[in-house]
Amino acid sequence: MAERRETRKEAGAGLIQYSTENLVPFGPIHPALKEPEYFKLYLRGEMIVDVVPRIGYVHRGLEKAAEQRRWTQNTFMFERTCGICSFAHSLAYVQAVEGLTPYEVPRRGLYIRLIVAELERIHSHLLWVGLLGHWAGFDTLFMWVWRDREIVLDLVEAIAGNRIHKSIAAIAGVKRDIPDSMKNKIVERTKYLADRAYFYKHIVDTESTLLARTRKVGNLKAETAQKLCAVGPLVRCAGLARDVRADDPYAAYGDVPIDVVTRTEGDVHSLLHLRLDELVVSANAIDYALEHMPSGPVRLKIPPTIPAGEYASHVEAPRGELFYFVKSGGGPNPERVKVRTPTLANLPTALELLKGYTMADVPVVLTAIDPCFGCMDRLSFVDLDSQKQWTWTGEELRQFGIRYYFPERTI
Amino acid sequence: MKVKLENFKAAVKTLTEQFGMSHLSTITGIDSGENIDVHYHFWKGDVITSVKVSVPKSSRHVPSIIEIVPGAILYEMEVHDMFGVFFDGNPWMDRRLLLPDNYPQDLAPPLLKQTKPADIRKAVGVER
Amino acid sequence: MNACSCNGCDIELVAALTPKYDAERFGAVLVPSPRHADVLVVTGVVNPQTKDRLIRIYEQMPEPKYVLAIGACACGGGVFKGCYNAGQGIDNILPVDMFVPGCPPRPEAILYGLIQLLAKVKGNGQSK
Repeated sequence: MAERRETRKEAGAGLIQYSTENLVPFGPIHPALKEPEYFKLYLRGEMIVDVVPRIGYVHRGLEKAAEQRRWTQNTFMFERTCGICSFAHSLAYVQAVEGLTPYEVPRRGLYIRLIVAELERIHSHLLWVGLLGHWAGFDTLFMWVWRDREIVLDLVEAIAGNRIHKSIAAIAGVKRDIPDSMKNKIVERTKYLADRAYFYKHIVDTESTLLARTRKVGNLKAETAQKLCAVGPLVRCAGLARDVRADDPYAAYGDVPIDVVTRTEGDVHSLLHLRLDELVVSANAIDYALEHMPSGPVRLKIPPTIPAGEYASHVEAPRGELFYFVKSGGGPNPERVKVRTPTLANLPTALELLKGYTMADVPVVLTAIDPCFGCMDRLSFVDLDSQKQWTWTGEELRQFGIRYYFPERTI
Repeated sequence: MKVKLENFKAAVKTLTEQFGMSHLSTITGIDSGENIDVHYHFWKGDVITSVKVSVPKSSRHVPSIIEIVPGAILYEMEVHDMFGVFFDGNPWMDRRLLLPDNYPQDLAPPLLKQTKPADIRKAVGVER
Repeated sequence: MNACSCNGCDIELVAALTPKYDAERFGAVLVPSPRHADVLVVTGVVNPQTKDRLIRIYEQMPEPKYVLAIGACACGGGVFKGCYNAGQGIDNILPVDMFVPGCPPRPEAILYGLIQLLAKVKGNGQSK
C-alpha cells in the first residue's frame, strides 16, 4: 500500500490540472451508456489521473424563485436547500437581510441562534462520522453514531418543534424561546454527547478497518486548500485556522468562546478526529451559552418591506463557510439572493485530492468533503489505457472498496 | 468597490497579493437593466470586500481570474450558466455546471430579469 | 432514490432503518440494485437531470413493483412549487402507490406509510 501513495507524485498532482490535453478523445458513446454522471473519473491502470464534475442534480432554481417570494417566505425556502445544514441556511439568509435594516437582533435571540446552530453542527458531525463508517465498511460505527444522533434530534425537536427543518430563525430574531426549565435537560445531554465523542475518538485510533482506509488517505496541503478557496473542516485539517465563528463572529459568537480546532496531517483520519473534537467544542459552547443567556425578548416585529441596498453575510455551517448575498430594491420581495454552499467551495479541492488514488479510495475521499447524498449516487469511470467506460452506483463502488481492502471479508 | 473592466485584473491581483485577501467566497451576477454587474466577494478576518465590474449585455466578456485565484473556476462557470457571461481564459466555458442538459440554447439564461420561470419550466419539461 | 432532494427525507428514511425505528422488523431492507427491489422509495422534486435516471431505475425493477413517494417535494413539489428547475410531484412521472407527506416526515410516519403499502399490496395480491 505504501507504493501506491508514492506514485501520487507521478500522477502529476499539480495545483489544478484543468487542461484536457492529456486526455484521449473517445469515440461516440453508446446511447445506452449516456447517463448523467456526477463525477467522471479518468484512470490510468488503477490510478485516478483526472476528475471532471458535472453537478446540477440538486439544481432547482431557488435563486430565481426567491425573487418571486416575500422576504419571510424565503426563510422557509432556503432552509430546505439542505436538510443537514438547514438552520445555517436560514441563519445566513436572515443575517444578510438584517444587514440591510437598522434593527438590532435582541441578545437573547442571538444566544438561541448560537445554541441551535451548534446543535446542528453536532448532528451533522455525528451523521458524517456514521456515514464514513458505512462507506469504509464499518457499519457498527454507523449504527452507534446514528443512535446518538437521535438524542440531538430529540433536543432539536424540544427546542424548535421539528427534527430536521427547524424553522426557528426569523428576520430580527428567533421564533421560539428556550424556557429555563429546559436548561438542565439540554446540558445533561450535551455532556453525554461529549463523552461519546471521546469514545468514538478512541475507536477511530484503534479500529483496524478505519485505520486502513483513512490513515494517509487524502493528502491536503494548506497551500492547495488556500489557493482553491476551500472552507470548513477540510481546510482546518490541513492546518489553516479559518472559521467564520472566530474570524468574523456573528450571532452570540462574540461572547461565547469557540476553540478553532486544527490538525496538520491533511488526511481523512485527521478529519475524523477534527470533527469529533469540534463536537466537544460545540457541546461546551452550548453549555456556556445556556449559562450566560441574557433575559429579554427573542424577536423584534418589523415591517414587511426591507430598505434598498446590498449586503453579504456568512456563517460557519457544519461543512464550512456558507455565503449569502442579498440585494433589495426596497420592496416586499428581494431583487437578488445569491447562495454559495460550502460543498461547492470544496469541490475543486475534492477533485484535486482524488488524483493519485485508486477507485477503492474514492468513496472515502469524497465523503471526506461531506457532500450531499445525491452526489454519491452515480460515478462514471473511464480507463484511458483500455478505453473502457463504465458507471457504478455509490453502493457498487462502496462494495468494491471494501473487497479491495479486505478481500477476506464477505459483505 | 467598483472598478473599470480594464483595471479589474490588476485590482484583484493587488487585493490578493498586497492585502492578502486571497480567499474568494463567491462571484455574484446581477441583472441591472442595461448591464450585468459581476461582484467578486473576498473574505479575510472580519472583512468582506466586494470587487464589482459591469459589462454591457451586448458584450458579456470578463477576464477570468483563475491564474490569480484558481478557486474561482467553478464560480465563473456558475455565472456563465446563469447570466451568459463569458470569462475569457476559463477553460470550461463550453460546459454546463448547474443547468440541465436539455436547457435550450436559444432560451435566455435563467437569472436575467427577462426570463420567465414558466418559460423555462415548459422548455425543460417539468410542467405538470 | 434521491431525485433532487434536500436530503431531509433521505436522512429520516435512513433513520427508519436504524435500530431505534427498525424498519427491518417489517421485512424492509435496503438493496443495492433496482433489479433486486420490490419497492422504489423516491424523495425529492425530480429536476430534468434526475428525471431520466428515475424512469430508468423504475424500468429496471422486476414486476411486481411499487413506488413510495416520501416528503412534500415528492408528493407535489413542496416548497419549491414554481421553481424553474423543479418538478411538481413524482406522480407526474411514475405511478405512485403510496404518498408520505411531511417536510420531512418523521421515521414513524415513513414506517406507517410502508406498513400501509404492505397492507395494500396484501389486499390486492398483485401489482398495478
